[in-house]
Amino acid sequence: MKKSLYLLNVCGLSMYKKCVLYDTVRVPPTELGEDIEISVSRALREKLEGRIDRHLGMIVSILDIVEIGDGHILFGDGAVYYDTTFEALVFQPVLQEVIDGIVVEVVEFGAFVSIGPMDGLLHISQITSDFMSYDSKKARLVAKDTKLSISEGDKVRVRVVALSLNERDPRESKIGLTMRQVGLGKYEHLEEERKKEEVA
Amino acid sequence: MNKIDYKKYTRFERARIVGARAIQIAMGAPVLLENAGSNPIEIALNELKAGVIPITVKRDRKV
Repeated sequence: MKKSLYLLNVCGLSMYKKCVLYDTVRVPPTELGEDIEISVSRALREKLEGRIDRHLGMIVSILDIVEIGDGHILFGDGAVYYDTTFEALVFQPVLQEVIDGIVVEVVEFGAFVSIGPMDGLLHISQITSDFMSYDSKKARLVAKDTKLSISEGDKVRVRVVALSLNERDPRESKIGLTMRQVGLGKYEHLEEERKKEEVA
Repeated sequence: MNKIDYKKYTRFERARIVGARAIQIAMGAPVLLENAGSNPIEIALNELKAGVIPITVKRDRKV
């Protein structure tokens, strides 16, 4: 049997990619009477969706089955194992990439920003160069001198500066973000700056 | 998938096919014959005799 889950072809360069992948999948005996394609795609979804691979990124969705090979029967298991070629939508955050996201949670040490299937951490020190304090009543972060504040639901433009993908436990994966660069920040502030430039 | 011919396989291959089919039936796979018997092994044997088991043997595999 060939190595489990490997890449045959990639389409797309940024964080979302359409990949042609190859993997072996287990179809339980209760589904043997059904259409193979349906049970194989169901088994693939259960096995792979939400899974993180160090080289590929996170598998978001199984799009299409390209080819189903012969099934194998192993000793001691009534299931059939199919070698399958399929298309999948894969999300892979890349270092230095600029991403638009929405703030989903604000805590003492920073804000969590949803950048698609995963959340990234925007640390309090990476929001502005100003001193920021946590307002626990309104669950937001407020800057001392400027009137900048970050709260849940804000749309922000951020850059990926740290990546630590955990294959075993996808929830433990960490994505570090920054807003302390030109062209990054809250949408409203970006809009203001753009208007200022136009006037000047 | 080819249905198997009883005479096509050796007794070892037939034993493996019946074993594999019996565990499938025991784990809830749909039975292919009516009134095939009461326990998985009996059903698997009857299916083999009727030639309806969708399992083939790969002989050329070198490990």
